[in-house]
Amino acid sequence: AWPTWYSLGDARRPLHETAVLVEDVVHTQLINLLQQAAEVSQLRGARVITPEDLLFLMRKDKKKLRRLLKYMFIRDYKSKIVKGIDEDDLLEDKLSGSNNTNKRQKIAQDFLNSIDQTGELLAMFEDDEVDEVKQERMERAERQTRIMDSAQYAEFCESRQLSFSKKASKFRDWLDCSSMEIKPNVVAMEILAYLAYETVAQLVDLALLVRQDMVTKAGDPFSHAISATFIQYHNSAESTAACGVEAHSDAIQPCHIREAIRRYSHKIGPLSPFTVLGRRRDISLLALN
Amino acid sequence: MASAPGPERDLRLLAGCLPLYPPPPPTVGLLSMEQQETYLELYLDQCAAQDDLTPPRSPLFNPVVPYGMYILNASNPDTAFNSNPEVKETSGDFSSVDLSFLPDEVTQENKDQPVISSRHETEENSESQSPQSRLPSPSEQDIGLGLNSSSLSNSHSQLHPGDTDSVQPSPEKPNSDSLSLAPITPMTPMTPVSECCGIVPQLQNIVSTVNLACKLDLKKIALHAKNAEYNPKRFAAVIMRIREPRTTALIFSSGKMVCTGAKSEEQSRLAARKYARVVQKLGFPARFLDFKIQNMVGSCDVRFPIRLEGLVLTHQQFSSYEPELFPGLIYRMVKPRIVLLIFVSGKVVLTGAKERSEIYEAFENIYPILKGFKKA
Repeated sequence: AWPTWYSLGDARRPLHETAVLVEDVVHTQLINLLQQAAEVSQLRGARVITPEDLLFLMRKDKKKLRRLLKYMFIRDYKSKIVKGIDEDDLLEDKLSGSNNTNKRQKIAQDFLNSIDQTGELLAMFEDDEVDEVKQERMERAERQTRIMDSAQYAEFCESRQLSFSKKASKFRDWLDCSSMEIKPNVVAMEILAYLAYETVAQLVDLALLVRQDMVTKAGDPFSHAISATFIQYHNSAESTAACGVEAHSDAIQPCHIREAIRRYSHKIGPLSPFTVLGRRRDISLLALN
Repeated sequence: MASAPGPERDLRLLAGCLPLYPPPPPTVGLLSMEQQETYLELYLDQCAAQDDLTPPRSPLFNPVVPYGMYILNASNPDTAFNSNPEVKETSGDFSSVDLSFLPDEVTQENKDQPVISSRHETEENSESQSPQSRLPSPSEQDIGLGLNSSSLSNSHSQLHPGDTDSVQPSPEKPNSDSLSLAPITPMTPMTPVSECCGIVPQLQNIVSTVNLACKLDLKKIALHAKNAEYNPKRFAAVIMRIREPRTTALIFSSGKMVCTGAKSEEQSRLAARKYARVVQKLGFPARFLDFKIQNMVGSCDVRFPIRLEGLVLTHQQFSSYEPELFPGLIYRMVKPRIVLLIFVSGKVVLTGAKERSEIYEAFENIYPILKGFKKA
């Protein structure tokens, strides 16, 4: 189903149970998001869910919003470049009528302009601060790939390329869009696919953190103080070297995920600042958050 | 240096509007800014004047090497210096020429031209490609000239029976006193890429624009021209295709035209001329103004796998790598301003160039970096 986890930092063969659990979490998070977005569009009397609705819902979490904006810009930029390379792409773009260059950026800028009262949203466009989460993911990926051989690396790359946006129709069905009254438009679907991917990435980040926490070195009084990434590095290096063959013990367990949810629910999911975590183990409660 | 007529004439062709006698001094004098600009203005004025003239019958117009116009971009003084001298081949600019009366043999000559020009081109590219910090050495310069003149002199004498003289006089005059400079200043040896194990990026696509300078009736064109599509509801231009060079043109009612798909500068220009001729034959007073290469795309293969995660981390300020969006790493090189798409397989695509030399330079810059991230 979603082999993206390998690429996000999990072991090569994620546990099936973990996979199922994460899928569930992501699914409910997204359905929840969709429903809220539908409400927002209804409020403004629209007939489709637009990217503006999603941006509106995310307005409170600057970091996540900034990451989303950056993603949208990169998407625009990539279309622009690819257009210049292939004459067929260029033709198609011309034929598709309206001016498509930087369309996502325009949408985002126009919308944030309209709702921004304090100027802090628009300031994000200028913001060049390092995205720590993204930085950490990049570093983790770099460490992981450094020790791979070229065959492993090829596989890793392939798994990184998988995304929710590749099989758009499957994704739509998974979210049961057809049964909705108000459906998301194309760019909104892109954003949803991206948010789904981000949610998985987040869960993996946090689960890895949890797992690392669980590995305490007896007798080492400072183990809790050493940074997560440092320990993770050593762990992964050792375990890969030692095992040769990937071991299931390396994979993230469902319990890691659950603990991550328990601890970090306020951070998980696109709407996370709103999240109020339910006590029950039942994941569907997360959807309310 | 070589015997009198050959290289001098070549120099004339090469140097175009520049004075030929004596042969370039061994030491290189740098053109001052003002000199460059004056020179440029003079050249461009002359070209503009030619555009408005109806050409006389006789000349088998110099189906000359093509890229004179676009290399002269005044906005880029660095390359202007390098390229000015070499560019002068095109002083017999045929941009405004009415080609309809020309027999088809002209296109034959054009076919020959690219061969010559590419040889010359490689020399030029090696010249303009290296960074300004390197001072040209006299010996290189002589070698460059010597080698080139022998190859060029023959072909040029065939193709330009006498028209160079007829075309050249005016340009020469104004310029003869304005500048004393070294027209040819090769800065590097002849081969375009010397440091990268001989990997040379191949051009894959050239996008160029030209102004036919007359209003066009797209419906009429679409009805009478072969291989033309026109669907006004979808797109307000005629899409025309020719097979040789295999290209596509978008022709707008304003008279502007975009030509895509060519694999070299000459081919792009040749194709654009062919489209212009088609339009002319349909009865429009088409001209050929402001031909400009807008974008060049090249590609090559370094032949080893590349660990993109490492590259994106160490070159963060230039790279984006979102594999779930696009399998290649997008690298925005600042100098030259080129975008590279780098793939795990080792394939590299370079785009955004206005000149061939930018592609070569960008690849030379990236190659050592890529080697550092070779995936064993």
